Amino acid sequence: MDDARRGHGQGRRVVEDGMEQLTNIVVSPSELEHIALLLGKLSQDTTASHVLLLDKSGQVIAAQGMTGERDVVALGALLAGAFSSSRQVAEILGERDFRGILQQGVHESIYTSLIGEHWLLVVAFDKQTHVGLVKVLARRTSDDLERVLERVLSGSAEAKEQVVNVQFRSSVENTIDYLFRD
Amino acid sequence: MALINVASREIQCKIVYYGTGYCGKTTNLQYIFARAPQPARGDLLSIATENERTLFFDFLPLDLGDVHGFRVRFHLYTVPGQVLYERTRVAVLNGADGIVYVADSSAEKLEENFQSLIELETNMRQMGNDLGRYPFVMQWNKRDLPNAIPEATLERYLNRRRVPSFPASAVTGEGVFPTLRAICKAVMACL
Repeated sequence: MDDARRGHGQGRRVVEDGMEQLTNIVVSPSELEHIALLLGKLSQDTTASHVLLLDKSGQVIAAQGMTGERDVVALGALLAGAFSSSRQVAEILGERDFRGILQQGVHESIYTSLIGEHWLLVVAFDKQTHVGLVKVLARRTSDDLERVLERVLSGSAEAKEQVVNVQFRSSVENTIDYLFRD
Repeated sequence: MALINVASREIQCKIVYYGTGYCGKTTNLQYIFARAPQPARGDLLSIATENERTLFFDFLPLDLGDVHGFRVRFHLYTVPGQVLYERTRVAVLNGADGIVYVADSSAEKLEENFQSLIELETNMRQMGNDLGRYPFVMQWNKRDLPNAIPEATLERYLNRRRVPSFPASAVTGEGVFPTLRAICKAVMACL
């Protein structure tokens, strides 16, 4: 069992009807600004075409170099799925886990690496850039991002209360009823 | 794991449709994709085999638009139902905020449904989640089949936790949106 699995569900707050509060990640504007700076520097140093920061469930936290929003959302789901799949492969092989995966194309390649136990850093680069350079710089950026992740996780509960309140939940429920009616 | 991005004013949640092979998980997503209003639905993405069995997952992003200044999104996933793909199901379950269990109502599928639920419970427990305290709804699909077993039997054997359940026929669309509404609301209540 990995750290993430052990960590989930411990000490969670109980919400209505005995249900447990879901684990959330709340990213503040200042942290996102910091993330954007780190991704921008990595993108510049590796001349990457795209750099993405994903939650391992596939949600996109920040993206650099992508223009089409639909493509970003689909890429997030596919890359996180591929990484999650690789971890299952590691388990079958008796490996603790794979911390990074490389997908090589003729023109573009993608390097995905795990940050802590929650985030994925994705760098898409062309054949002009050496993969070794990408791995080293991605590792350096990951160390910085891991510190951001620690701050984000420790401050999530308070930050969330400011956003998700009774009125917000009620409005979302009304929107769900309206959009997803029969 | 729900993501609340205060800077870009977005909230994203992941919902997984789980169940045995051919129970109708992909059909649920296809119906939602066909009938959800245009601005709310994204592209339906399927990683399937040549004969259209789900190999990895289907993915459908739904965008509720602006709610109190935040853009709320639900990302719907299915898992491959075939027994041998358990590891793939675990990979897709990773970080889920809510689960819809789609049960095939055919009499001969009852045992398979039961085994698949045990597998789901085991995998969720290993991830630190108790299905009884987690956004979880059930759908009794294929109610239109002549050999569909009574809902009371499904409730008795498959719904020991008495979570919300919905009779459905995903091919005609019956029950698809009530199930979707219920899981989306359950996720929001636990956010």
